[in-house]
Amino acid sequence: MTNATDSITVESGGIVEVALTVNGRPVATTVEVRRSLSDFLRDDLGLTGTHLGCEHGVCGACTIELDGEAVRSCLMLAVQADRATIITIEGLADPDGTLSPLQQAFHESHGFQCAFCAPGFLMTAKVLLARNPQPTRDEIREELSGNLCRCTGYHSIIESVETAVRLTQAHAHSPARTASQEVAS
Amino acid sequence: MRAAVAGKFVGTSVRRVEDQRLLTGQGRFVGDIDVPGMVHAVFLRSPHPHALIKRIDVSAARALPGVYVITGAMMKARTNPLLSLLAFDGLYTPYFWALATDRVRSVGDPVALVLAPTRYLAEDAMALIDVDYEPLEAVATIDQALDPRKPKLWPKADGNTMFNSTQRYGDVDAVFSTADRVITRTFDCHRHSNQPMETRGCVAQVDPVTRAMTFHSATQNSHALKWYLGMVTGRQSVADSAKWLFRNRDKLKRFGAGAKGFAGANKEAMKGADNSGMAFLVKKDMSVLGHMMRSFIGLVAKGADSVPEVEAQDIGGAFGAKGVFSREEIAVCAAAKELGVSIKWIEDRNEHLAVGGHARDERMTINAAVNNDGTVLGFKVELTLDQGAYPAAPFSAAMFTQIMRVMMPGTYRLTAFEFTARVVATNKGTYVAYRGPWAMETWVRERMLDVIARELEIEPAEIRLRNMVTMAELPRPMITGPMLDIRMSAHTTLTAAVELADLPTFRAAQAKARAEGRLLGLGIATFHEAAPGPPGFFDFVSPGSGMLGAEPARTVLEADGGVSVYIQQMPHGQSHETTFAQVAADELGVAPTDVKVRYGNTRVTPFGIMGTGGSRAGAMTGGAVTYSSRELRTQILQRAADMLEADVTDVTITDGAIHVLGVPAISVSFAEVAAVVAPTIGADRKVHEGVLQGTAAFDGGDGGWSMATHVCWVEVDVETGFVTIPRYAVVEDCGELINPAIVEGQVRGGVAQGIGAVLYEKTAYDDQANFQAGTFMDYLIPTSMEIPDIEIHHIETPSSIEANYRGVGEGGMIGAPAALTNAIEDALAHLGVTITEQHLPPTRILELAGVITTR
Repeated sequence: MTNATDSITVESGGIVEVALTVNGRPVATTVEVRRSLSDFLRDDLGLTGTHLGCEHGVCGACTIELDGEAVRSCLMLAVQADRATIITIEGLADPDGTLSPLQQAFHESHGFQCAFCAPGFLMTAKVLLARNPQPTRDEIREELSGNLCRCTGYHSIIESVETAVRLTQAHAHSPARTASQEVAS
Repeated sequence: MRAAVAGKFVGTSVRRVEDQRLLTGQGRFVGDIDVPGMVHAVFLRSPHPHALIKRIDVSAARALPGVYVITGAMMKARTNPLLSLLAFDGLYTPYFWALATDRVRSVGDPVALVLAPTRYLAEDAMALIDVDYEPLEAVATIDQALDPRKPKLWPKADGNTMFNSTQRYGDVDAVFSTADRVITRTFDCHRHSNQPMETRGCVAQVDPVTRAMTFHSATQNSHALKWYLGMVTGRQSVADSAKWLFRNRDKLKRFGAGAKGFAGANKEAMKGADNSGMAFLVKKDMSVLGHMMRSFIGLVAKGADSVPEVEAQDIGGAFGAKGVFSREEIAVCAAAKELGVSIKWIEDRNEHLAVGGHARDERMTINAAVNNDGTVLGFKVELTLDQGAYPAAPFSAAMFTQIMRVMMPGTYRLTAFEFTARVVATNKGTYVAYRGPWAMETWVRERMLDVIARELEIEPAEIRLRNMVTMAELPRPMITGPMLDIRMSAHTTLTAAVELADLPTFRAAQAKARAEGRLLGLGIATFHEAAPGPPGFFDFVSPGSGMLGAEPARTVLEADGGVSVYIQQMPHGQSHETTFAQVAADELGVAPTDVKVRYGNTRVTPFGIMGTGGSRAGAMTGGAVTYSSRELRTQILQRAADMLEADVTDVTITDGAIHVLGVPAISVSFAEVAAVVAPTIGADRKVHEGVLQGTAAFDGGDGGWSMATHVCWVEVDVETGFVTIPRYAVVEDCGELINPAIVEGQVRGGVAQGIGAVLYEKTAYDDQANFQAGTFMDYLIPTSMEIPDIEIHHIETPSSIEANYRGVGEGGMIGAPAALTNAIEDALAHLGVTITEQHLPPTRILELAGVITTR
């Protein structure tokens, strides 16, 4: 529901140019000034992996990495991302589809159920692990507490991040990716 | 037991096949769907709880480029109303239209549908619509609904009471007059809601040439949605329908044959149907008959030609909320049909909180007849449920009151039971199913057992052990009818949980902590749930509804040698693509990754009217996939035996290679079999039937129960009112586990929702029915900081039954509120506190503990 206001300016303030980098690709285009960054990513760039759960900054499903920070794309306007470097969930895996250690960890530890919240948790965890590569379980709990999941009770998500810590270390020590078994032991 | 060849994948935590797309942002949720020429819909909604619509002026909105507005009056003229497909004696279900026509009955009631080329423009236009409302006095609570001085929401109802029904089992009067004592309490459960992370939404895609519609929806129930959309949006007069029927006699015959086939397959179940509910409804409101005739005859007349095909793919959770046919979806479908244009509607969170489906909001008064030795003899229960303004379609909350009636005795040895159910209407959002929609029975029973135990000075665990049916007493029917079969292990889960709880040690620790000013508590709750219940379970709920009976499955060999499983289930987080692939893989001797589970597209999936809900998937669909895959295996082996020039009984499958037993070196592949079969099949064979197919339907078999005992440990801080949960354990039996990691995820997720319900979440209204919880800053979903690690202890009762799978999605949410509130009372009992309400945020804890004054 949008609250009705008495003075809507339908011309909506015009169109501006933006230039940014999304998942390593340069993007130069025009955008309506009132357009949210999440709508810009999803509808203009077709990157629908970023999800909208509440559009008021609480659920965290729309979290992206913007200049190294975990940011709620529903609370920013696209114009504010001018000259920014953005990574979305689509930018995590290798171009050939090989999962990143973080994604692989969520696969191995049965991290998600419906996975609507997945983009937000993955991007938040990515930024967390970049800053603190070996967080404790309590630190993981606290860092992820800005993202809502309605399916899992968080247990599997926290375990997935712990698995990611292990896989990332293994990944760093070995040039070849950890082979994944299809059946967990 | 499964055959020896099987069992390779079932029982192991196979990693999810869904993950590759969902972890890379390649899922396809309804909000991701974009079709050419699509316009965007938003709904203008009522800011008033109750008001008359005097005038709507859409001219300013219409003046914007590309904007179109549909009002309730237009909707009423062009569609059929939403009718309930469930009738009970004593139940009045009003019909209504997708948009409010002359009166709004809740905050958020949809008043107009606004279409525009972009969502932004649609919201601009919506703000320009001018509505004159004449506010009416609102009905906000159960007490107000029962107050005869308050206005009626529905003119033909009995006040604001929509349903009233009493049933008795055993000699209630004798038991209550001879019991040592009767203990009475009234328990209140607050309104809260499902709140999946994805809101509701749909895209009505209209083919620009043929005008045929594909309806993309986040629905739990694709086939039923398809036919309901067809019924409501396919309005034509009975006279036109009659002409149609005459002109299309041949088509009608085919439709009739299909319906007859369905009725034939469910003959036993339909025999028990009684018509007293329909008679009651028509007596209340004769006009319902005309709408029913026009709707049903219209549907039969136009048949499949006028009905959209439904497609659903990834769904971001539902927990029951997307099993309801939303008025918004119906409005969008009708508008797309009328205008011949594709339309997308994605609900926002504010809308979802207000009208996306509410749950619980129930009051129960329970009288327990008990003897002083702790024997519980009987219950007399009076339930009042607040359904909100509009009853859910296709069936209303009255359904859940009757499941509560059947399940309320639990597995305790009651000799007398009386249950009165009342449903009232108020000016609030619609009551829908929420994960264990009957959970009020478990909460109140398990709460009441603690109250009784405390009054008789017995340990709460002990009163359960004394009264619960042990496995030695099985089989034995519940007093309400359903049979507890020899696998009813509720008592086993209880004894295991009591051992875990180590009560002597806990009581000593509790006393010591109390002396130090720290309040510890421990709560236990046991339940069994119909998951999906024994065959015929629903006949005890509503006579004749046993035709909800079986789940279908079709396993096919594709032309390229792949294997596909088609189901009518509509997974939305339950990982069906993995679990059913495991089941099929074991039967066929292939890997789960070789099996593609297909669902959601009504063009190709087998017909079913239940979708995903009622804990049917594991038990029923699991069995159906077992048997359909086995049937396909037989066919594949026969063809391969010919190719190998061997006797079929000597042929087996190992890792996808079909060979003579003991001769693995000479084999044929599934692709080679498919290549041989493909040229022999008819040209009219449908792609989704593959080159070979096995089909089966399965009703879950005897038993059909899941059971669990939850143990919750709490510490209550009476300085802040905060409740922490240092430990939580679930001892459960859901039969054989197909995928333990997935089962555990379901249990933990359910417990988390139960914890949220008790400590955080409330769909709040003020006493004039103004909505108070419109954002996630008002409606608090627990985070990773609030949900503890949850221990799960599995029990599997040995059985000779094949496909001994049970549903496990709902139980966590059924047990948790009871265990947690029991634990909180245990922590506060020495202060004289009795917990009779389910919502216990910090301020309420402080009030109960006497730290602050009750408001």
